[in-house]
Amino acid sequence: MKKMIVILLLCFNSTSFAATQKIEVLGMVCAYCAQGIEKSLKTLNEVDDVYVNLENFFVLVESKNDFGIDETALKNIIVDAGYSVQKIEFINETIQGVRKEYAK
Amino acid sequence: MAPTRFIFLILLFYAVNSAAAPMTFKGSTVLMGEGSKNFKRLELSYAITGKESIGLRSFNAKGKQDKVKGNSLFYLNRIKRINKINSQTNLWLYLELGKIDLNTSMQNNAHTYLSPTIQFDFETKRIYNSVSHQILRAVHENFDRTEIKSGFSFYETSYDETQPWFILEITNTNSLSEHVSVIPTFRLINKSLFFEAGISTKGDPKLHLMYTF
Repeated sequence: MKKMIVILLLCFNSTSFAATQKIEVLGMVCAYCAQGIEKSLKTLNEVDDVYVNLENFFVLVESKNDFGIDETALKNIIVDAGYSVQKIEFINETIQGVRKEYAK
Repeated sequence: MAPTRFIFLILLFYAVNSAAAPMTFKGSTVLMGEGSKNFKRLELSYAITGKESIGLRSFNAKGKQDKVKGNSLFYLNRIKRINKINSQTNLWLYLELGKIDLNTSMQNNAHTYLSPTIQFDFETKRIYNSVSHQILRAVHENFDRTEIKSGFSFYETSYDETQPWFILEITNTNSLSEHVSVIPTFRLINKSLFFEAGISTKGDPKLHLMYTF
């Protein structure tokens, strides 16, 4: 019974946390061009949500898992949309939180 | 005006406008429509890679005594892009191969034409500048057209907001008596939607709509 509870807890943990990756993008100057980044990233199965911030030149990707999306896959999508990647890193924030922060 | 010159005049004044890069990202489809009092154009393009797209265009135009219908196949290549933190610089090559049918009270004629365009543009979130040069070649007809677009956005917007722009278009066409055209244009951009409305200094209104799927 204890084993069952531990397994259930592990399963719960693995599905209840999402990873957020911040991509700093070069050349992202208008929404008409940048929408390609959002649409392309959302085609990835592991992606739960995408947030584009034109003012500060970054994109956030929230994954359904807790280990994020392969950086090469992210970079390829940005490049195929016509942009360059300056940096990709994990951040300890959710997209919902960042949206609220910039909405103020 | 000779019928052939009428055809090429129409082409020159409208054909190159799509060289404002109807391409956004690999796998995207762009539907574009443009119209004025005597001219209508519809085109569909598909981005086969992140740098190239191919498309089909159909248009019709009418003059005092002439009617023109045309269809073409075009290829767009982003030869070079330089991405900086606050700017984007592009060099584009645009190739168009088409056929036009002219109907007048006197005769019906079909012509095949080839038209390459090279375009250089630079943009930031507040400034847009482009220069393009189009060459149009068909039997016994040679035209060159240079276009300069320059403008600014009224204010910076976030990704989800609609951004308004003012763009001034100036074109110069060789071999025509009235070779300079000036069109002040109001542009709106909202993600997948690109809209322009302008009116030339001669009073001809023009609408341009582009949507990306």
